[in-house]
Amino acid sequence: MGMKINAEYAEESAQQIVDAAAARWSGTSLHAEVRHHKSGMKLPYVFINCPKNHWRAVAKWLRFEMGADHCSMITGTHWPEGPDEKKWEVVAHLMRMNVINPPERGGWTEQVIRDPAILQDDDVPMEFEISISIPDTRNPSVQSVQEVWMGADWNEKETWDLVGIEFDGHEGMRRVLQPHDTPVGFHPLQKEHKIRYHDAEIMYDDTQGFGRKPADDGKVK
Amino acid sequence: MAEMWISMGPQHPMTHGLWTLKVKVDGETVVDTIPDLGYIHRGVEKICESRDFTKITTYCDRLCYASANTWAHSYIYAAEDLLEVEVPARAEHIRVIAVELQRIASHLIWLGAYCPDIGNLTAFVWCLREREMMMDLLQELGGSRMHYNFPRIGGVKRDLPIGFAMRARAKLNLFLDRIQETEQMLDESTVFLVRTQGVGYAKPEEMVNYGVTGPNVRAGGVNYDIRWAHPYSVYDELDWEVSVERPSIKGADSYDRYRVRVDEMRQSARMCLDALDKMPGGAETHYTEGDPMILTKARERAEEGKTGFHHFEDSRGESMFYLAGGGEQRGKHPYRISIRSPMFITIPYAAKCMIGHKVADIPAIMGSFDPCIGETDR
Repeated sequence: MGMKINAEYAEESAQQIVDAAAARWSGTSLHAEVRHHKSGMKLPYVFINCPKNHWRAVAKWLRFEMGADHCSMITGTHWPEGPDEKKWEVVAHLMRMNVINPPERGGWTEQVIRDPAILQDDDVPMEFEISISIPDTRNPSVQSVQEVWMGADWNEKETWDLVGIEFDGHEGMRRVLQPHDTPVGFHPLQKEHKIRYHDAEIMYDDTQGFGRKPADDGKVK
Repeated sequence: MAEMWISMGPQHPMTHGLWTLKVKVDGETVVDTIPDLGYIHRGVEKICESRDFTKITTYCDRLCYASANTWAHSYIYAAEDLLEVEVPARAEHIRVIAVELQRIASHLIWLGAYCPDIGNLTAFVWCLREREMMMDLLQELGGSRMHYNFPRIGGVKRDLPIGFAMRARAKLNLFLDRIQETEQMLDESTVFLVRTQGVGYAKPEEMVNYGVTGPNVRAGGVNYDIRWAHPYSVYDELDWEVSVERPSIKGADSYDRYRVRVDEMRQSARMCLDALDKMPGGAETHYTEGDPMILTKARERAEEGKTGFHHFEDSRGESMFYLAGGGEQRGKHPYRISIRSPMFITIPYAAKCMIGHKVADIPAIMGSFDPCIGETDR
């Protein structure tokens, strides 16, 4: 048995989501489109450029109407050299897993075995990539979606810990990967923090290492 | 009785790594838990920002010491998505074999580490003996025993060695026999059944909401696997079935999570055997223009604002790499690299599963989720 999803049905399903987004969010600057991976994954995915102030509403719409029931990853990027309206970016990756609670019979749950070849419309597993731009600010923040997906909880904790983007309405925010006594305001993935050799091409031109000096030479013990 | 907090870890056999589980107990019963991670945070994401696209594979290998190959492949697919690289069919088949052998090895080291936790030391020796066969095969492919650095952007390091297919078939068939022995031993072991059955119930819809993936969620009867739902490589052409468990209505317990992993090892062996049969001939295992050409093209192909990502079925769940290109300015380096670790999301949920159980059940519950702290802390 080959486990193959019909590519045409997947394409149709992605287009349906894009059409639904255009109808539901027509008054905002939200933009949705069907995209394809350049290599690797074979099926299309839905890319959504979401305005910052609508993120929680869009998330609820995706979760409860479009069936995106799995929050795969929420991450952030600092773009200090980027355009003014996109100095920070939050990217969310969602999946439509289509989990129907397994039917119960005699105290046991039945397996839900479906033939991937006949999945259509809302049943096709789908990926979503949502990009939220944040304009130039020292205190970037977006709305938290912790209450929509519990899985977003630790993703948001990590994004705040490492990138420094705050999530409004997130309960119990704390350092997760860095030590608890890390100075307030220190977020290592912001671009002003550089590790040794960050901008040094000499690492590759001078393979023997003669004349190699780290960028912070003399400053670090 | 007064409630009190107990710190399990960072040095505790239950943790399978370096982290702390703070447990609030009322007598013998767990009433609250707080996981505390980050003890071996190495800043891989930051380090990778100043490395070439081709040099990052080495770091990804070291994310998980038990499952190095899956993590390296996970990165390579994302990099190929960003750099728009085509991969020859033969290389894809070799990749499937490498990843599935690694998955068997990873599940075996999990079973080997889990059974001594709950009082069955024999399984440890048996599992390591069988894992040795997989390690030998992987060593033939990658040249080392733990960190193979096997995949390349656009292909694999080298073609299959002479006679590999023959040896792989023999060892996989032997493995399929031997895993039956191990399974019989565990299924007839009263100690194993008593410790695993009826502890750590996890509801399917709750697991999905918390972002739990992989064998843990399939143990709850959820038929979801990246390999069929979002197909990549040649998984949609191979002969296999998703391993899904049939749990009780209370949810998946530790025993279900053990069952689904044993079945997954069988499916992986089946996939490897099928990939060996279906592999196209020839010696085309690499993108014709090779690694150096990819790097020189990185400046224009990975322009600023362009991203590449890939969801990957790791041994522990859905791993994912998200890459952002930096264009002319960053040259051959990615601008941002972000890693989704399946265990980072699963550990908080696993900690919730313990609430209501006895303190003595904690190792039996935590171990069944297969934690790996290398990838969790990154």
